[in-house]
Amino acid sequence: MRPMPMRSPVESQPTLAPGTGTGAGLGLRAPHHATVVTSWPEAAWFEVHSENYFADGGLAIDTLEKVRSRYPLSLHGVGLSLGSTDPLNRRHLANLKRLCRRLEPALVSEHLAWSSVGGHFANDLLPLPYTEEAVHHVSEHIIQVQDMLERRILIENVASYVAFTASTLTEWEFVSAVADASGCGLLLDLNNVYVTAHNQGFCWREYLAGIPPALVQEFHLAGHEHRESAGESLLIDTHATRVSDAVWDVYAAALRRFGPRPTLIEWDSDVPPFEVLQSEARKADRYRDTAHAHAA
Amino acid sequence: MPTLREIQTAMLAALRVGPLDLATPYIDAAGRTAPLRLRIYRDNIRENFYRALRLTFPVVHRLVGADYFRQTARSFQNRCPSRSGDLKDAGESFPDYLGELHRNDRFGYLQDVARLEWLIQEASLAADHEPFNWQSLAAVDPSVYESLTITLHPTLRLFESPFPALSIWESNVMETQDLAAIDLAGGADRVAIMRRRSLEFLRLKVGELAFLQSLGAGMSFGVAVDCGQAADALFDATGALQRFVSAAAVVEFSVPEI
Repeated sequence: MRPMPMRSPVESQPTLAPGTGTGAGLGLRAPHHATVVTSWPEAAWFEVHSENYFADGGLAIDTLEKVRSRYPLSLHGVGLSLGSTDPLNRRHLANLKRLCRRLEPALVSEHLAWSSVGGHFANDLLPLPYTEEAVHHVSEHIIQVQDMLERRILIENVASYVAFTASTLTEWEFVSAVADASGCGLLLDLNNVYVTAHNQGFCWREYLAGIPPALVQEFHLAGHEHRESAGESLLIDTHATRVSDAVWDVYAAALRRFGPRPTLIEWDSDVPPFEVLQSEARKADRYRDTAHAHAA
Repeated sequence: MPTLREIQTAMLAALRVGPLDLATPYIDAAGRTAPLRLRIYRDNIRENFYRALRLTFPVVHRLVGADYFRQTARSFQNRCPSRSGDLKDAGESFPDYLGELHRNDRFGYLQDVARLEWLIQEASLAADHEPFNWQSLAAVDPSVYESLTITLHPTLRLFESPFPALSIWESNVMETQDLAAIDLAGGADRVAIMRRRSLEFLRLKVGELAFLQSLGAGMSFGVAVDCGQAADALFDATGALQRFVSAAAVVEFSVPEI
């Protein structure tokens, strides 16, 4: 086994803290910008895709600054390609740093995935083989990011449709090893846990049981769709529908194991009226309250 | 065991331009279902790229229709794959690609409409700036006016086309004009695009365009005036400066060190 990289010497930042009873947040997408900055609706916090605000000025970043003045904010990246064997894109990283300085977000997160090699980008979240080499490699990149941003980041498990013959670790061993080696936290996307478990044939309960609670700093909840093709049942992570009953069950189990964590409702395609997102957030809050009552 | 680099290289090659079999040796998916599963990623990659181009080039999308735009986006993606994790960057060379496709047909204007839309995106994302401070100019000795260096608004982009590209764009976005009424041979468009609270378009005369191009290239006010007059003997430097200052196209000046 190769030696692990050193932990990044980063200071902790003001954050949406686990266990504070903060209500569920909402993914903020362009169709709701005007609603939010004109009516300031009830929402505990917002999360946005960082790359959508890589700009020196303009309507989108102006809107986000207004949102930031009223709500806690989380920046969630989709394009850093942490797992790529290419060097990290310095321009992308500089843009992210500038955005962090401008907005001082409570949380910053990226995906435990790769999307580029040889300078060409797929602009999709491709899964990594779960190997010691990949742990070492992606941890080095996370440390570079944390050093550049001067803060701890969270990494999110992605939905996966393939497994690799090279893998020698389970996914939960892999994500835990990466967090341990890099000093980052985990953003546990419970829809992705469920989707990947279905597609790869493992038990999501085993996944949750394999993650050390102290690593988990945020949950994501989103919708998926079922697809039958060539006699095979696959779940597709679409973010285009309500959270499924099965994933609410995963959330209940996660609350029991990890305790309350900042929880986000993600909805990226066929974005519904804002009130639908709020109703999903209230449902997440009820699950949190129920778990808290049982634990008391 | 294959290295991570080998796996990523094979997988991206398979997903981008195929065949998917390039990646299947690395995939543990009971063999027969590996291509099915890989195709989900390929579809995502194509769809994400298509949507990004559609966002940057909404009028081109409307002009050519969804089917042709999707087909063109795919061939463009094969030719010029994304080189950024930010998909807003993906369309930079799309106008040139359209120009190649339509070099010899009656759709040559598509390149310029796309180029206009790319500049609109640039203007939309550029930094804001405070308005020009007239009082500071009053303190400058008039004898050095000719050597002043003048800064244009950071969002300002200059556009020139032999086609009425702005009229085409406006007819699609603002519904100010009937597209069918636009005569493609009806003359050139010269425009300064900028954004303050919203997008603004200043239609330019030949001399005004040359003047702004010269200022944008860092030439002194005097040289820029010469360029304006060389392009158009009727170029009115005083009137142009007043127009561009009041429109906030000009935001700063600097006095040369003696």
